[in-house]
Amino acid sequence: MTLWDLKQGTSAKVDSFVSTLESSYRTRLSELGFHPGELISCVLSPSLGAPKLYRVNNSVYSLDDSVARLIKVGSDEQAA
Amino acid sequence: MSKTILIGSPNSGKSLLFNRLTGLNQKVANFPGITVNINSGKSLAQPSNEFLDFPGAYSLQTISGEEKIAVDAFYQALQDPEISSVVCVVDATRLEKGLIFALQVINACAEYQKPLIIAANMGDVLEQHNLSMDIAGLEQALGIPVVQISAKSGTGLDQLQDLAINHRQLPSPYTSDIIASDESVNHRQAQQLAEEYGPKGDLLINSQTRLDQFFLHSWFGGLSFLVIMYLLFQSIFTWAAPVMDGVESSLQFMAEIILPLLPEGVISDFTADALFGGIGAFLVFVPQIFVLTLVVGMLEDSGYLARAAVICHKPLRLFGLTGKSFIPMLSSVACAIPGIYAARTVDSPRKRWLTYLAIPLMPCSARLPVYSLLIAAFIPASNMFGGLIGWQGLAMFGIYVFGILCGLLVTALVSKTNKAMQSDLPFVLEMPPYRLPSWRPLLRNAWSRSKHFVTKAGKVIFLVTVVIWVLGYFPNQGASLGESWLGQMGQWIEPLFSPFGLDWKYGVAILTSFLAREVFVGTLGTLFGIEGGEENIISLAEHIQNSGLPIGAGFALLVFFSIALQCVSTLAVLRRETGSWRLPTQLFISYSLFAYAAAWLTFVIVQAIAG
Ligand SMILES: Nc1nc2c(ncn2[C@@H]2O[C@H](COP(=O)(O)OP(=O)(O)OP(=O)(O)O)[C@@H](O)[C@H]2O)c(=O)[nH]1
Ligand SMILES: [Mg+2]
Repeated sequence: MTLWDLKQGTSAKVDSFVSTLESSYRTRLSELGFHPGELISCVLSPSLGAPKLYRVNNSVYSLDDSVARLIKVGSDEQAA
Repeated sequence: MSKTILIGSPNSGKSLLFNRLTGLNQKVANFPGITVNINSGKSLAQPSNEFLDFPGAYSLQTISGEEKIAVDAFYQALQDPEISSVVCVVDATRLEKGLIFALQVINACAEYQKPLIIAANMGDVLEQHNLSMDIAGLEQALGIPVVQISAKSGTGLDQLQDLAINHRQLPSPYTSDIIASDESVNHRQAQQLAEEYGPKGDLLINSQTRLDQFFLHSWFGGLSFLVIMYLLFQSIFTWAAPVMDGVESSLQFMAEIILPLLPEGVISDFTADALFGGIGAFLVFVPQIFVLTLVVGMLEDSGYLARAAVICHKPLRLFGLTGKSFIPMLSSVACAIPGIYAARTVDSPRKRWLTYLAIPLMPCSARLPVYSLLIAAFIPASNMFGGLIGWQGLAMFGIYVFGILCGLLVTALVSKTNKAMQSDLPFVLEMPPYRLPSWRPLLRNAWSRSKHFVTKAGKVIFLVTVVIWVLGYFPNQGASLGESWLGQMGQWIEPLFSPFGLDWKYGVAILTSFLAREVFVGTLGTLFGIEGGEENIISLAEHIQNSGLPIGAGFALLVFFSIALQCVSTLAVLRRETGSWRLPTQLFISYSLFAYAAAWLTFVIVQAIAG
């Protein structure tokens, strides 16, 4: 399951990155907080495929499908 | 001279702090990545100390080209003996993110032996929500001074300045007992520090999320976006109108007092035609520039822009752009120059290049005088729905939408046909907090922008107006404009513009407006001034109405001005940002041809409809 599949109001831990993600961007996502082991919650998932909002610690980022699909998360979803 | 660097993650408040410390007026906005150049300024309190405002960076390990320039410059500065200290600004409400970067800065400063101070900014926000952080604890853990400040209210700034000048102890690299892989150790450390010493709870983030749930809601989000954009355009008309009327009547009042005092002849004619007619016609529009800058500034400060970028992401992707293109495009509504700079926040090179194509077509404020003039001349000033919606505001909205659509059309076409620079960076955007706009800096900014507009455009307009007046007045002392030098030259260019119903006076005004769009109004004002003689001091819009210009020609002019790239500064800045004359030349030629063809088509269609 990828970050994009996370439902609004649930969280999951980052597992790994899909191998096609460029390494420089992998580093950046890690630095923003999207790195393996981190708990991410999806705070808003609008319809029509608009970018979703993800919370990492005390910051919120908006990611579109092209990148959120490259981040694999554990399937043990939990209510945030 | 000693120098202090201000560095920190994006949107942490470095530029507002810099403005406070130096009294300068750098651009501040509630959106990450606003500052793009390093700016320096003398401290107000200690003129022997200078501050350097750096662009924000998420990390000293860079991925995007722009960030690399800033980070390289930072490393270079660390080796510069003139730099006596570094201030790392962190947003205390998002401590963890700031600390990830601050820890990297600590290590860099330890390596290059520069004293470092951490400024925990946004103290006023913490206070307002009854939150606090453990400054002393953090200071002890990091082994460097930490100061709680508020760049907004000014608390803590004296202490910060004092430390920046007098603190000379060097930092040592931060170590903790966390053992993790190389990539995440920094992150874990920051997390631990933030948890231990940062403000507790997630009050702020929860209230932000509640607002996001409204503003980014599938339906309300889109609807509120449209309402906000519409109010933006309506405000330009309705808020500025009384002030514009005021400027116009005081100019007329002045003219009526001054003109009778002058001896008949050249001097009085010059004052009436060139000064009151030409330059006065342009001054009338300055209040609109002021209101526009103010309203765009309010949006920038509120944090809404980042949400608008998210809302626009999907639609803009259809045109080959990204949601991040929205901010440069909206800035261009005030002026293309800051818009081109703001395009650096578009991290993907291909999308940035496409954004450059759209920017010159955004309805910038220099077009506003031309639009307002033509709309005032052709559209009745009546209202619908009890004054809620004015026809003129609606027309303005329409012409703005037209420009934006043209821009999107161009990027869509080019992105479909041009496959250069295919590799792309994905869309990741930090959501800044929502804030009530702070009025004082906004008003100051709008004021300085209007002043800049008057002085800079004013110089060009004055020169052009004088030249036009001389050519139009002699050799027959204004007795007959058609037989003046300018009138004779006008015969030559008239065929160029007659296909869309314009006589040579408009032709001359269009040609002069290639220097800067707003010159159009000044030139036209001067020409009608000479032609009309001195007996009737009426507004330029009335002159146009009286001249019997066909409505199709009015629309053709609107279309021409919304497309043509008549701005020398835009071309120069595009050259600087892209590193060559290629793009500006291509854009200039193709948009001129496009404008001409579209204007002609408009004339034909509108005349056919109007009968
Ligand atoms: N309430 C409050 N707002 C602040 C404070 N400092 C900065 N801001 C606001 O935070 C936003 C960002 O400020 P900037 O000074 O542009 O931030 P920056 O660090 O220069 O950002 P970049 O140049 O993009 O890296 C603006 O809306 C400021 O008005 C503060 O102490 N209190
Ligand atoms: Mg800044």
